[in-house]
Amino acid sequence: MSTTPRLPAVDSAEPATFAGVTAHAPKMMRDFFGVYAEFWQNGVVAAEVKEMTRLRNARMTDCGY
Amino acid sequence: MSIVDSLPGASAMEGLLNHRPQLSAQYRVFYESFWRDGLVPRRVLALTRLRIAYIHSCVAELQIVDAQASVSANEHDQLSRGHIAGFSESEQSALKLAEQMPHSVHQITDDQVQAAAQHFGHPGCVALLTALAFFDVNCRLKLVYEIPALESETSPECESQL
Repeated sequence: MSTTPRLPAVDSAEPATFAGVTAHAPKMMRDFFGVYAEFWQNGVVAAEVKEMTRLRNARMTDCGY
Repeated sequence: MSIVDSLPGASAMEGLLNHRPQLSAQYRVFYESFWRDGLVPRRVLALTRLRIAYIHSCVAELQIVDAQASVSANEHDQLSRGHIAGFSESEQSALKLAEQMPHSVHQITDDQVQAAAQHFGHPGCVALLTALAFFDVNCRLKLVYEIPALESETSPECESQL
């Protein structure tokens, strides 16, 4: 798997971070971050459980990012 | 009666998500953006969503149709088999990515992403990859919740149906 970002950031002077690359579709990603913020900031599942499962999922999918 | 049957909502999926109404509402807005923003051709969204649903054998997802993106019975058959030669070059570039998203995301190549970027531009490529990821998510959610197939012959449209 490539370790070089496959798409440039919107601002070519900036590194190709997740936010920088996905900013090519700004409206869609604004809506995504709205969902993600709601998921993390509210709800009945403890933050520790969310974080634990997030890390386990990242391990399982071999996502070092 | 399963938990799905006992919940209110426009669909069984939404009924479940409505345990978290705000999360459900925001997820709907986000999911609708794939169709609303127009960065990826509607037919490409239809083909890739169906291919991912076929990979997962997710009947509940396969029942959802996009009336504005005609997919013939023969094309459904080709998608069910993963045969993409009959589709256009741009559609094939998207279907190759869709093929990998559910179970072999690490096998996606630089060339495959570049091909999609050439056909759809960088905004379209970002939107396509995100849509593919969430088509996969929706199938996984429906399978893990055991969302039932619809009994009605009336098929809901995809952008209004999670």
